[in-house]
Amino acid sequence: MEQRTDADIQDQSPQPTKWDRSAIVRLKARFERQNWAGVLFLLACAVAFPMLPGVEGWQAYTVALVIIYIIAAQGISVLVGFTGLVSVGHGGFLAIGAYTSALLTKYFETDIIIGLISGGLMAGFIGFLLGLIFLRLSGAFMAIGTLGFAFFVGTVVNNVPLFEGREGISLPSNKVMFWEIGDIGFYYVSLTVLALVTLFSYCMVRSSVGRAFMALRDSEKAAEASGVNRVLYRTIAFSISAFITGMAGVLNGHIVNYISSEVYGDIWYSVDILVAVVVGGSAVLMGPIIGGIFVVMLPFMLEELADFAFILKGVVLILVLIFAPAGIAEVLGRPIRNMRARLLRQAGYGGREPAPAETTSVAAAPSQTEKP
Amino acid sequence: MLGQQILSGLATGSVYALTAIAVVVVFRNTRTINLAQGDFGMIAAFLGILFIKEFDLNYYVMLPLVVLCSMALGVLVERIVMRPIADSDWLTLFTATLGVYYILHGAAGWIWGRDTKAFPVTFDAEPVDIFGALISQGHLINMGWAAAIGIVLFFFFKYTKQGIAMRAVTDDPETALLMGIPVRFIVLLTWGMAGFLAAFAGVLLAPIVYVSPEMMDEVLIKGYVAAVFGGLYSIPGAIIGALMIGVAENLAGGYLGSHFKTATAFVMIVVLLTFRPQGLFGIQKRREI
Repeated sequence: MEQRTDADIQDQSPQPTKWDRSAIVRLKARFERQNWAGVLFLLACAVAFPMLPGVEGWQAYTVALVIIYIIAAQGISVLVGFTGLVSVGHGGFLAIGAYTSALLTKYFETDIIIGLISGGLMAGFIGFLLGLIFLRLSGAFMAIGTLGFAFFVGTVVNNVPLFEGREGISLPSNKVMFWEIGDIGFYYVSLTVLALVTLFSYCMVRSSVGRAFMALRDSEKAAEASGVNRVLYRTIAFSISAFITGMAGVLNGHIVNYISSEVYGDIWYSVDILVAVVVGGSAVLMGPIIGGIFVVMLPFMLEELADFAFILKGVVLILVLIFAPAGIAEVLGRPIRNMRARLLRQAGYGGREPAPAETTSVAAAPSQTEKP
Repeated sequence: MLGQQILSGLATGSVYALTAIAVVVVFRNTRTINLAQGDFGMIAAFLGILFIKEFDLNYYVMLPLVVLCSMALGVLVERIVMRPIADSDWLTLFTATLGVYYILHGAAGWIWGRDTKAFPVTFDAEPVDIFGALISQGHLINMGWAAAIGIVLFFFFKYTKQGIAMRAVTDDPETALLMGIPVRFIVLLTWGMAGFLAAFAGVLLAPIVYVSPEMMDEVLIKGYVAAVFGGLYSIPGAIIGALMIGVAENLAGGYLGSHFKTATAFVMIVVLLTFRPQGLFGIQKRREI
């Protein structure tokens, strides 16, 4: 019955003069190309940035700091955007990554690549264990559990002698293989990690694993009924997210060659990463990027007014939630999406097809045939 | 020694309980995990200092004033921040309270400074002897207050019109609305109650720890864990959870070393969520997002 009324309404809407499937396919391919061009343009800008005249080491350092936050935000974004789970405790994974790599560097003099891999794996492994416990819960319970986890990691880092608490661990200068790298070299390392992580999430979202994540997000029951193993896939998502955040932690420790519980024992660090995702918007590539820039640059620009930066962060967060709940990236992307939607409509997309397409569901079929 | 640890654990636990009750009440009526709960109390503690030092008020005049201010703060937060997004998913609500947390934190740091302050009213250092266990008077007074508030809340929820309406909204907001209960007012009242409980938590804790913008962070986390013990739904469960956490962490601190004190809550929540994810008493409502 509902389908029929839908069809009636659509009948009254202006019909496209000609149904042209190939035009729509062409348009979509064009949008895809535009997206890639945009990404490549951003990447080219990022690669070229340190080579610009007048850019000094400390500027590359600041941007690298933003990049590290973006990586961490992408770690959470995988979780929030594609599985609908929320972790408030990702600062814990950041700390695990940072300390794993720092201890390896200190005692075994490993380079940053080994640090990245081992720090990420360690965080991923602990994420896996935590996932087994927390992922049976949902929503609010999981948030509290993960917040407790961040708190726990903070306590351990503060009190277990191996981690040297507030004294902190000083690291030797950074090495890739055997070459020492400075601020600009580090910038490129961070950028490479960011590119790899972005590529990885892009591919994952389009794989069967990513589809399983989104199916679970959209309807847990329907997905499970279709044979998606809820606990398995959620644990995978949580581990991947922890892995990415752990790598961000490794970079975060190595960029200043010093880690202490002053930074990693602070649970609000965890919450900051979540803020980046919420402000920027999850499930969009640009979301974590905008969010990361916001979270890093705000206190940086208001260094003298730390408390005012706090207030401003709160106000912006609330305003975004009230007026742009899908994040700033969504608002900025709106004109482009509107334009594309208009182009698609002109090509007949969204209008009624002359014959039922193969994708039409069985339930919808009768209403199509009943049409006079 | 054992009795003393348990007793002072109960005293700490009673402050956690005040926070936990507020977390539960707000969550079950509005689906919001209130991250700003601790900071309501922090603001209350600062206001307490302000009233006593600047206006030379007596402790017992200051207390109702602070409670009123704190309730007003809770109501204000609901009215300005939470109501426009009341229909969103819980993550949005949660992050909105995070925004409130940042604002209150920043405001307190801006107005009163980052460094810790001593609360002008302290209790007699002379400990009291109860069945051979020594306990400081401050702790004892806290326990008394917490117990009194617990009793008041019990009668409020059981016998007053507003309390019963509040429980009705908890059970089913739509039906409550159809029955003529002013749901919006009740939600407002819920946040007022959060402010009320936070004011007591803040002012009671202030003489024991120093007053600073971060003073309530740890209490808040413990309050959350305690609230999970009640399944984020049951007030008695939350109270029992809070007392258990207080005692357990005091015992861990006493027998294993103070390092273990803060980690206890996490271990407890892991154990709880592994074996009884629905909370202590198996009340399982609103578990889904």
